Amino acid sequence: MSTADWLLMLHVTAAFLLVGGSVVAGTLNVLAIRSEHPSDAALLLGLIKRALPVIFAGVAGTFIFGIWLWHEKGYSFSSGWIWAALVFWVIASALGGRGGRSQAHVREIAERDAAAGDTMSGELRAMLRDPKALAFNYGAGVATIAVLLLMIWKPGA
Amino acid sequence: MNLRPTSFDFPLFLHVLGAMVLFGAALTTSVVSTVGWHRADMPVLRRTAFWTLLAVGVPAYVAMRGGAQWIYSKEGFNGHGDPTWVGIGFGVADAGLLVLLVMIGFAFWWKRSGKAAAARTVAVLSGLYLVLLAIAWLAMSGKWGS
Repeated sequence: MSTADWLLMLHVTAAFLLVGGSVVAGTLNVLAIRSEHPSDAALLLGLIKRALPVIFAGVAGTFIFGIWLWHEKGYSFSSGWIWAALVFWVIASALGGRGGRSQAHVREIAERDAAAGDTMSGELRAMLRDPKALAFNYGAGVATIAVLLLMIWKPGA
Repeated sequence: MNLRPTSFDFPLFLHVLGAMVLFGAALTTSVVSTVGWHRADMPVLRRTAFWTLLAVGVPAYVAMRGGAQWIYSKEGFNGHGDPTWVGIGFGVADAGLLVLLVMIGFAFWWKRSGKAAAARTVAVLSGLYLVLLAIAWLAMSGKWGS
């Protein structure tokens, strides 16, 4: 295998970790929103923490091996599809991070409600379905898919 | 730069996205069933494992496998002299379907019964499936044996 083959393999592995970890977070978040008890929501949101190292490894790996591959494959510095992918990668990371902070705050409220009788309060229900937080999470997912689209189509390459 | 024909792009996107989401579904199941190893009676864990496999894992598998077959026919492979990485990919996809279906069966049993044995079987199978998927993506992205 050539250096470029190794780098592509590592880059794809990082992409699997990024998307796979995001699927874990997204699935658990959706199920938390549909929970009937605060204890269930707190548990599901708490489990998202276990996916974070996977997501962080994916975020770092896609960037490092992607940039290295850019150099190794000899793509032009002015390759628009690579710059566009980088912009979407930054957007996905920023929105994902912001959505993650919202989830951590909601989990604290869920844990508080769980300890106080485990009845879903209006505040917790509203926070779980907060449109702004949902927009951050869904926006991160859409930006991640946009990166994948650009990596496969390579428009202009 | 080894650019493939643009007609390959959509099936490849379908295949790769399906595989990545399938990995995420298996990882979610692994996380949940590992926690369920000692807390198998918790309904939220039982529901999460089963519905994740059914509602996320199965559609992702269909996209991954359908995309693979689509590209395979476009490439003009015919089963004779196919590259090693193609064989590994199909081997994992087809053996993986069996693992996925058995895992869904055990997740259903866990959901219905809350038994620790069911949760632990799901945990072991999801771990095995993650390893199989990793072998497949490494072989296919590294073009092993080509």
